[in-house]
This record gives sequence, C-alpha cells and structure tokens, in this order.
Amino acid sequence: MSVLSVEGLSVSYRVPGGRLQAVRDVSLSVGRGEVLGIMGESGCGKSTLAAAMIGLLPQGAEVAAGAIRLNGTDMLRLPGEEQRRLRGQRIAMVFQDPMTAFNPVLTIGRQLADFVGAHGGGKGAAEIAGMLERVGIPDPGRCLGRYPHELSGGMRQRVAIAAALLMQPDVLIADEPTTALDVTMEAQIIHLLRDLRTSFDGAIVVVTHHLGVIAELCDRVAVMYAGEVVEEAGVDALFHDPRHPYTRALLSCDPAVVMPGSGHLPTIGGRIPDLTALPAGCAFAARCGMAEAGCGAPVPRHRGAGRSVLCHRSAA
Amino acid sequence: MSAVLELSRMSVALPLGGFLSRARLPILMDVSLSVGRGESVALVGESGSGKTTLARAVMGLQAVSGGSIALDGQAVEGAAGHARLRRDAAMMFQDATASLSPRLTVGYLVTEPFRIHGVALPDPEGMARELLAKVGLPPAMARRYPHELSGGQARRVGVARALALKPRLVIADEPTAGLDVSVQAEVLNLMADLRAEMGLAYLIITHNLALVRHVADRVVVLYLGRVVEEGPTAQVFAAPAHPYTASLIAAEPRPDPRQRRMDLAIRGEVPSVLRRPSGCEFHTRCPMAREMCRTTAPTLAPIGAGRQARCHFADQNKDQQGEQHAVEHR
Amino acid sequence: MSSAVEGTVPGRRGIGRALLADPMGLAGLVLVVVFLLMALLAPWVAPYDPIALDVKAKFQPPSAAHWAGTDHLGRDLLSRIIWGARLALGIAITSVLIAGAIGLVLGLIAGYGPRWLDSVLVLIFDSMSSLPMIFFALAVITVLGPGTTTLIIVIVLVSFPAYARLIRTQTLALSGADFILAERAMGAGAGRIIFRHLLPNVVGPLVILICMDIPVVIMLEAGLSYLNLGVKPPSPSWGNILSEGYNALRQAPHVVIVAGVPLVLATLGFTFLGEGLRDVLDPRGAGRRWG
Repeated sequence: MSVLSVEGLSVSYRVPGGRLQAVRDVSLSVGRGEVLGIMGESGCGKSTLAAAMIGLLPQGAEVAAGAIRLNGTDMLRLPGEEQRRLRGQRIAMVFQDPMTAFNPVLTIGRQLADFVGAHGGGKGAAEIAGMLERVGIPDPGRCLGRYPHELSGGMRQRVAIAAALLMQPDVLIADEPTTALDVTMEAQIIHLLRDLRTSFDGAIVVVTHHLGVIAELCDRVAVMYAGEVVEEAGVDALFHDPRHPYTRALLSCDPAVVMPGSGHLPTIGGRIPDLTALPAGCAFAARCGMAEAGCGAPVPRHRGAGRSVLCHRSAA
Repeated sequence: MSAVLELSRMSVALPLGGFLSRARLPILMDVSLSVGRGESVALVGESGSGKTTLARAVMGLQAVSGGSIALDGQAVEGAAGHARLRRDAAMMFQDATASLSPRLTVGYLVTEPFRIHGVALPDPEGMARELLAKVGLPPAMARRYPHELSGGQARRVGVARALALKPRLVIADEPTAGLDVSVQAEVLNLMADLRAEMGLAYLIITHNLALVRHVADRVVVLYLGRVVEEGPTAQVFAAPAHPYTASLIAAEPRPDPRQRRMDLAIRGEVPSVLRRPSGCEFHTRCPMAREMCRTTAPTLAPIGAGRQARCHFADQNKDQQGEQHAVEHR
Repeated sequence: MSSAVEGTVPGRRGIGRALLADPMGLAGLVLVVVFLLMALLAPWVAPYDPIALDVKAKFQPPSAAHWAGTDHLGRDLLSRIIWGARLALGIAITSVLIAGAIGLVLGLIAGYGPRWLDSVLVLIFDSMSSLPMIFFALAVITVLGPGTTTLIIVIVLVSFPAYARLIRTQTLALSGADFILAERAMGAGAGRIIFRHLLPNVVGPLVILICMDIPVVIMLEAGLSYLNLGVKPPSPSWGNILSEGYNALRQAPHVVIVAGVPLVLATLGFTFLGEGLRDVLDPRGAGRRWG
C-alpha cells in the first residue's frame, strides 16, 4: 500500500510569453520502507515535482491537474492550515544545502526544540539527542549547543535528516542530499539513508541528477525528461535493461561507466525542448537516435511488469 | 626535458589573525608536483585538503610561504615571473558563471586576455567569434552577458578565455562541478580535443574520481595539505598504496546497483587543520591504523616506478589491493 | 551601434522601462525632468527678470500678469522660482557629482588598495563624518565668506565620506569574488580591475544614494540661504525667497507658499526617483526574475 502517490500531476509556471509546463501528467507512488529515486537533468521538472509533493511550490506555479495523496488524502485539496500541519509532521524534506534550512543565530538544540514544539510534540532534549545519535552524530550533547556554521557540511546534513525524522513522518523527501558534499561524506549519507530505510518505517524519495547515488540507494527509479516520467523501473532493471532511449543515452555518457582511456565520452546532442512550446509528440524525438516519422504523434505509455516506458519504439 | 610546471616543496601558511600575532596556520606542506608537457595531472582530496589553495598559490593569488614554482624550467619569481606565468598558464574556476565579470559581454570577456597582456588585436570581433567557435558556441553568444548563460555555456566561455593566449598549462578547478551528466561529457570531450590539438597540459583539481579516471595520466592525492600518494592513474586506481586513496575510491558511488558497497570504507571527517593528529595524520580515520601510526609520521617514499606514498605499510597495501582488484576483474 | 566586444553595461533600456512601470519612480522622474527643464530653460521660460524691481507693485497676490504674485520689492515670484530652480539644482547637482566622484575614487582605492592606505583613508572618512555638519558648515563659511562656491565646497566636504564608505564596503565585498580572482589570475593590473570590473558593479548603489541626497542638499542650500549664509541676495535662491517672505508672512502669505511648494516637490521628486532606481537596480531585486 503506497504512502504517497502522485496521480496525473501537471504543474506549470506563468512566464512572459506563455506557460512553462514544468511537470506533465506525472503519476508515481512510493510505499513504506521503499526508496524511490527521481532522476533527471536540470530543467526536467524534478525539483518542481519535489516541491509539489511537500506543498511548497514557488510563486507563479499552478497545479493544472492531478492529485497528491498522502495516506489516501489529496493534499492539494486541503486548506492551507492543514497542509502546513502535515508538512514537517507527516511529510518532511531535506535540501541540498542544509545551511539554508537553519537559522544561523540559534543553536541546533534550540531550533530542533522549537521545531518539535511547533508541531505539538512533547519531546524532550533526551529524545532529540537520541535522534542525533541515530543519524550518526558522535557527541549529540555537544552538537545541540552549537551553531549551524560550526558544523561541517556532512554534519549539517545529518542534523537536517534528524530534524526531518523527529516527528516520525511517513515520507522523507531528499532533494540532491549529497550534491554539496565530498565523496566520503556522500558515501556516509548514502549509508545513513539506506539504514533509515529499514529502521524508520516510512517512504523515502530521493531527487538527484547523480546516477551513482540512484544506483547505491534506490529501489525504484523514475527518469524524468522535459516534465514527464519517461521511464519507471526497478533499479536493477533500469541500470541493466534500460528501455527508453533517453535513459540509455544518459547512462552511457556518465564518465563513471565509460572505461578509462576510451577517448571520447558519448554525448546527447541538442538541448531540452522549449517547455513553453512543447511538441505534440515525443519531447525527446529531436535528440533521439531511434526517432522516426511516427514519433511526432502523441506517445503511448507501455506498462509491463513493474515498469513503464513512454516511447513509441520501446515496449516495457 | 623540463616539466611545464614544477612545484618543489611548496608551502602555504595563513596568518592566524590576532593582534601583532606572527602565528601561522599551515595549509599546504612541502608539496612537490610536476606536470609534463601535454600531460594531464589530477589533484584529488576532500574539501580542506588544500587543493584549491594550491591552484591559487600557483597563479599567484595566494602568498607562498616556502618552496618554489618553476615554469618550463625557469623559476617564477616576483611580479615579472608571475606576469609570464599568467600568460603561459590559465585557470578555470569552479564556479564558471561567478568567474565572469557580470557587466561585460561574453565577446569582451573572451578577448580580454589580449588586452591585459597588450597583444595587438586588429579584429576583436573576429577573434571573439573564432574563440567561441573553438569551444562550440555560436557567434551570437558574443553579445550575451554572463547571467544569460547556462552552466555548460559559462563553462565553455571559461575554456575559451583560458585558451585565448594559447597557454601551455591550464589549471582547472572542478571543471565539471554543477553540470548535468550529458553536459559534463561534452565539456570533458572538449577539454580532451583541445589538449590533443594544442598540446595543452592540464592540472585538474577535483574530488570526482570518475573524472580523474577518465582524463588524468597521473594522480596526486592530498590529505590535510600533504601529498599522501602519487602515481600513474591506472596503477593508483588498480592498487592504491595509501589507505586514504583506497577509501576514496571505495566511497565513490557506482552507477551499478549490483556493485553496491555495503560496508563503509571511511568514517568520520577530515580533522581540522587547527588540530592536526599526531603521527600519521590519517590514523584517526584509517581502517588499518596500528600503534606506530599514532606516534610516528610516515614519509613520502617511492614504491616502484613513478609512484610514491606516505604510509608505513604502502608496499603491503599496494600488493593486497592489487590482488583484490585482479580477483574482482577476473 | 555599440560593439559586443566593447562590452557595455547590460540592460540600460531595461532599467528605463522598469522605472517607467513603477508609479512612484515615474512620478519622481516626471518631477525631476520638469525641474531640470525649468533650470535649463530659465532665461526663456521666466516671464520677467527675476531681480528687476518694481516697488510700486510689491506684495501683489497671484494675477494674470504675475501668476505667482510679487514679493516685497515687486519682483515677479514665478520668475524667481524658475531661476531659483536653476540655482538650487545647479548647486545640488554640481556638489553631489563632485562629492560622488571623490567618494567613488577614494572608496575604490580604500577597498582594493593596500591595507595601510585603507586604514589611512578610513581614518579620514571617519573624522570627516564625525564633525557636526552645521557647525562645520558655519566654520567654513566664516573662513571663506558666504557664496555659491563656498556652499559647494561645504557640501562636497560634508557628503563625500558617506559615498566613499559605501563604495569601500561594496568594493571589499567584491574583491574576493571569483571574477576578480579570475581577472587577477589572467594577469590584470589594479587599474583594469578597479575601473573595468569593480567600478561598474559598485556604482549602482552610489547613484541611488546620490539621487536621494540631492533633496537634502537642496534643503541645506535653502536653509543656509535662509540664514543669509548661502547664496547672497538678490540672487533668487529658494531659501532667500522663503526668508524674505517669512518677514512679511502676515502681510503676504502667498510668498512663503509659492517658495515652499517647489522645495517640497523637488524633494519628493528626487526621493521618489531614488527609491524607484533602488527598486530597479538593487541586486536583491534581481531575484524577482523567474527561475
């Protein structure tokens, strides 16, 4: 049973000269104990999707269609006050740069206590310290007395995760959680999230452009391109049997997979299409090596065992 | 044949501040490094390892407290030396957009090196077009301002500007940071093409090991401002001699769910340079630290052809890791 | 046509358009343009000679012949106000431009130059601005004697330290920026870095501050002239008109009103324009752009 499900969601921005369609007819779901990865390049709509999931769409964004259900209730239909109550309590988010999530003039302990207080949880310092310990902070008592700038990037990210987990939410959304970190810290945060998947009984959604993070951490992956989920599959199937031409192209141009010294890396020619004037057919056709005349027609979604592909030429 | 860039025992120490205080905090210690003609050397390490300080010290943006820099065998000394170095060597900054002066057009920015060094430029517009073409940007880009460029375009403008005076060495600080996978590949291909075409040497500063494996002939690993391992890239990756190098390689997320690392190769964080550990500075995080590592500092010692490592057990590690590597790839 | 390679400041036209779209900025711009036109075209638009006496016609209320009436010497007030605009704006703009130029150069040098020079300059700025303005002005006037040039000198001395400090702070903040490091790494000299790269990026806030300071200077000039320490009568300074009108407030209240209105409007005009410019130029406003 899925904790969070997105159904036919479309989000657009009003921009000078029209509407920018950032998210188009996206349907996804994630269950307890599951890690869903949302992968894509900049401009693919993954950050807008993450913001919509937590109800923090920026000014000018408009939900054109669809629903986001948390335990069955459509969050988009809830009044603002109730939405705000769910945020932080049932659904929490971790950002790329945790520094921005903290108030620089208050100690970590004070901020975590305020946060718990705001959500009506009667949790004491001991519980907060316990949570810090759980996310791998070596001396939680001392950490509580510190200011955000006194912590390293990796430590701040751990504290941010602890803060997100304090209210025992059903869903944790992590937007590029390791992008600002060194390799060693990245590995540690990946391990932490992986441990949490089993110990914390909720769903985790990881949004990233980093293929390595997806492969190390996720159970299921949705690949986004030009606002759409072009392919969704189990992580092993996605990396070892990609069906959508865009997924294949993306996987092949990562320097981490190309054998060393093999000269040129493969690239994807062209650019993402103008999101204010999208073609009626496949949005990837202009850059696709397999494209043919029929790709100009609206694309069917093939669904198969545990996967879906949005392509004329590949069956799921 | 002399190297394009030769650093010998270079040290950088920052004043600790404090009134009339002479105390200095060592950031880089006795770093020796050379980049041969047309060679590509990668400098890797976590943040705080001193890799960006090293690049800035080479370019004369950071005062050096000891050691020497030589370019093409000639010592770089004083203002005249740095003026020559800044003509023959160029730097690409980590944040490509922020490294472009915001109120000037791309056309002006790519031709600025000529103006700075007083090189006659009869047709600046033509030169701008030529340089932009070389990095795969359309001529119309010359009229844009930095904030109108995408990350990949800004990176290309940075490359065009670095190449304007046909340098022999390019120092690239995290050349692919913040770029999407596909754009990253394009920038790396461009750098490889230009290297082949112009005989450029690169000093690439990065923490992205996939990048190192792909572009570097040799790799130098820094930890807390000291070189801990150096050697040909393929050999270092196949059989790292320093446990720090080994754990960096192991920490790298692999884009293959079948090769997930279930154990954590490295724990803890880089110690503060204010409180350097005793003995081997890596012992606080080293999975194989022994008693002697806490007390005795190892030296950077040669371990076979072209390789050096700063570990008491370097030879042992190298052989063990090499065997493991061979098993994995059988 | 400007060449792309010559590199110009971006979006000048965009700034103008954004200013016109802002009602307050537009109002400020209109007022400022009207006063500037008055000042520039005074000899042609003023109906009478501003210092021509006609004692028989003194203290006349507004009429068809004298739209704004006449003063105690029978001089046409509208003509005096129009010529007064020339005087007020002339002094204000000249002095803030000189002060701005001095502040810009000293601020850039303090911000980018060697540490010791910075310390010396900051000491100068601080001691200049610690002097109480009105006493300082009185002291200078006592030494040099009242007059237009003295007034300009006083205003320049009083206002440049604030400009210099603003520029210094901006310069200090930018001198560690990546693009300045990149320029240094390419071998650019201090002159090029200061004038090509720092100046265009620090000058915006100064323009705003100067614009907001013009009304202060107009008021200062009026105030000093009112005290007979500024522009010497019979020159038609707004302060002089006010001061003369004040002596006959009961007999002919229109004189003070007529002199007060342009003072208020000019002050509002430059303040609105300054605030409009700040909204348009302020880097913090740039985030409003989508994406």
